[in-house]
Amino acid sequence: MRRPGRLSLVDIILWGLRIAIVVGVALGSWATLSAGRLTGAAWSDLIVGGIALGSVYALIALGYTLVYGVLLMINFAHGDVFMFGALTGFFVADGLAEAGFLDANPIIGMLIVLAIAALSSMIVAVVLERVAYRPLRRAPRLVPLITAIGASLFIANSVRGLYGEQVKAYPTLEIFAGKINIFGLEILKTRAIVIVAAVALMLALYWFVERTRTGRAMRAISEDKDTAALMGINVDRTISTTFAIGGLLAGAAGVLYAIVFTQVHWVMGFVPGIKAFTAAVLGGVGNIIGAMLGGLSLGVLESVGPFLLLSGFGVPSPNQLRDVIAFSVLVLVLIFRPYGILGRPESR
Amino acid sequence: MAGSGSIWRRALTVGLVAGVAVLYLATVGLVLAFAERSFVTGVTSFGRVILAIPPLAAGFVIGSRAGSVNARLAAGLLAGAISGALLAVSLLFASAVDIRGVLIRVSAPLISFVAWDQDAVTGAGINLALAVGLGLVGAALRIAPRSVRMPVLAAIIGVVVMSLLERFLRPRLTELDFTDVARFLYQGGGLTVPAALITFVLVAAIAVAWSPVRSRVQRAAAGTDAGQRSTIRAVLIVLLIGALLYLPEVVGTFFSQVLVSVGLYVLLGLGLNIVVGYAGLLDLGYVAFFAVGSYLTALLTSPLSSLGLGLPFWVALPIVIVGAAVTGLLIGAPVLRLRGDYLAIVTLGFGEIARLLFLSDALKPWLGGTQGILAIPDMFGVPRIELPILGVISGPELTYYPLVLFCILAIFIAHRLKYSRTGRAWNAMREDEDVAEATGISTVNYKLLAFAMGAGIGCLGGAVFATHLESVFPGTFNIIVSITVLSIVILGGMGSIPGVVLGSLALIGLPELLREFAEFKLLVYGGVLMVMMILRPEGLLPDRARQLELHEADEEETGDDDSLAPSAPRAAEPTPEGLT
Repeated sequence: MRRPGRLSLVDIILWGLRIAIVVGVALGSWATLSAGRLTGAAWSDLIVGGIALGSVYALIALGYTLVYGVLLMINFAHGDVFMFGALTGFFVADGLAEAGFLDANPIIGMLIVLAIAALSSMIVAVVLERVAYRPLRRAPRLVPLITAIGASLFIANSVRGLYGEQVKAYPTLEIFAGKINIFGLEILKTRAIVIVAAVALMLALYWFVERTRTGRAMRAISEDKDTAALMGINVDRTISTTFAIGGLLAGAAGVLYAIVFTQVHWVMGFVPGIKAFTAAVLGGVGNIIGAMLGGLSLGVLESVGPFLLLSGFGVPSPNQLRDVIAFSVLVLVLIFRPYGILGRPESR
Repeated sequence: MAGSGSIWRRALTVGLVAGVAVLYLATVGLVLAFAERSFVTGVTSFGRVILAIPPLAAGFVIGSRAGSVNARLAAGLLAGAISGALLAVSLLFASAVDIRGVLIRVSAPLISFVAWDQDAVTGAGINLALAVGLGLVGAALRIAPRSVRMPVLAAIIGVVVMSLLERFLRPRLTELDFTDVARFLYQGGGLTVPAALITFVLVAAIAVAWSPVRSRVQRAAAGTDAGQRSTIRAVLIVLLIGALLYLPEVVGTFFSQVLVSVGLYVLLGLGLNIVVGYAGLLDLGYVAFFAVGSYLTALLTSPLSSLGLGLPFWVALPIVIVGAAVTGLLIGAPVLRLRGDYLAIVTLGFGEIARLLFLSDALKPWLGGTQGILAIPDMFGVPRIELPILGVISGPELTYYPLVLFCILAIFIAHRLKYSRTGRAWNAMREDEDVAEATGISTVNYKLLAFAMGAGIGCLGGAVFATHLESVFPGTFNIIVSITVLSIVILGGMGSIPGVVLGSLALIGLPELLREFAEFKLLVYGGVLMVMMILRPEGLLPDRARQLELHEADEEETGDDDSLAPSAPRAAEPTPEGLT
């Protein structure tokens, strides 16, 4: 596609963009750091917060990556599957808290919330695949994507109609309040819990995909669907399983997200969904380790970026622009490295 | 009795789906929202119509299965019964247990509405009986010969449309001194019983008379030569334009306002249609161009903007369009090497970045932050104009006429492009990028051209929008606009110009007749996108080439079927259930 030795208009624009980014990032960070606006503790707080957020993104990103791996489609509605889990979790947590169970057995209680939220998201994801995506397996590529966008709107607005549009606050728990000291770092307990839970889930997923029969079937389908079918793999069932696992992780991520931010509502799926997709692409779509790394790096970048890059230029309220940073990462990654950090260029 | 085992199973499934659909419609809030909207006054409301559709549809679907007439009728009845039973059980449950804490719409008014204002047990019985009847009617309708089915369906749709038009026709007829007609047709917010009956009979009669007329017209059309046909087309176009110019006079001020919104979305839809429909590039950030157009216009024309130029609209317009096309090029250039689905996400990212930047404090000195830019002058700088034929033009008409002009211009450009060398290049590129590249089409250049054209038209829409509202606010330019325009293009049919007009009328115009509907607009847009893609990806008024393209795979499949088993219809195959 590219003609070596000739610089087209597009190439010139791309190079201009590259140079502008490098110079901007360098100048911004230098200005911020030399001015010494934030203390070391504040920076580490931002980084830990970014890791906690990033691990939630990573869990959602895994759903995108798994689905993209087997179907080569962007499940745009995945962010809403995540939202559904968070909301279901709210109703369970609220019910348990009212019954007094959550205060009596906080750990078991939260595990129940997590399990039910994950299951509900799983059901939504599987139904979605069965109803909306399965009829379109052989359709041109944009068709399932448009369907997924429709599904995203449909799920979000159904939730709005069914459960109401007001913001719902998760019950707060005593044992989650306060900070914990790890290696001399003061970390909010909620963040520590989220990071630990997310890492545990990711390890479980990695084991599942690498070591079980179903995991092997999933990998086979992502290599070549038709050949996998010839080898006796039930393609439909394996794809359902893939959506189920993605849904489980997204539902769990919903509850973890709610533990950090305490508030849930019907539009909360959209932005984390896009960011998780960014994370998936950042790590190389279809690559499980990549999704994890992508999520973590996006979380940190989004948390640290506004202060590091923008406050140096004297931009007012830089935190307003954190989503701009996240979306810019998305755009830039797709432009310059669409195969991700860990991926390799594909010829497709 | 081949397939008789399966028709019952099928009835069970369809009935369950219909029952779930009924429960969904009730709990999501649609039923209660329309409970007060009268359909035929004194007889029923739109809320009940909504509740009636799923069992009717279930019966209809079942009626299309193979089997004896009695079996199909019984299966339709069964499907209706299952759907009704589900509703009845849920009604009993909801009236016994308070579930408002979770499903907020399951309120006492909803329960008593669904129960026909009776106690729960009686209400459950009524619903069950009704659903059984509706299932039966649905199946009967499907089994009835086409010559009966089509007029009946058309008549039902006619009555629904007539009733929906109440919001427009009644005040307008009163305004035009047809008070008696208005009172005869509409009372209490809905059709009167005689008016409903007359509409039903009239539409049915027209539908019955239609098929001989159509075949005669077709025969006459076959006899004409190319020259005659183009004359007829020219006459039709002139008539259409004349009607468009006269339209604001007919519909009155309020609906002229609606026409302006519809026209605006026609313009946006035409722009996106070039990008998505012709070139096959899914742009989810189309709102960015709309926003850039609005903000550029605001900056150039408003005396209160940071530039403070206060240019007249028509001087600013060329600058805006050129600026827009340049923006399109700058945004398009880096991303157009991406594959289709990645391109969609990148453009979505651009749309969001644009919105956040317009909203941010960082750019507030230039773009006004959350307060936006105010005091954008009118398009002509005067509140009313007198024209020779059209008379005095004021209010929304001042936007309407230029907008019609822009739309006609955009339609002309889109139409000419479609059948030009460029259009064919886009076609080739959309079908197979690699092959297009190999045949010597510079795909990047053609993609850029499509992007710039779309951007230009989108910005034109933005400019009209800004001067019509006389202010711009960043909150207006969210992803919902992109999705709405996409839904319009998808509903009408990708690549189809009449489709864009139909899509705008249906998705922008129709909701104005259904004010209760506002809250559920996005829900319906989402549903439209999904259902269209699954059932009819080529849209309602499809573009021929696109239709063939999308059904290529089906044809291949049916072709295979034919070669394997030429005379074995699938429905009659013995299923495992049938054998046991």
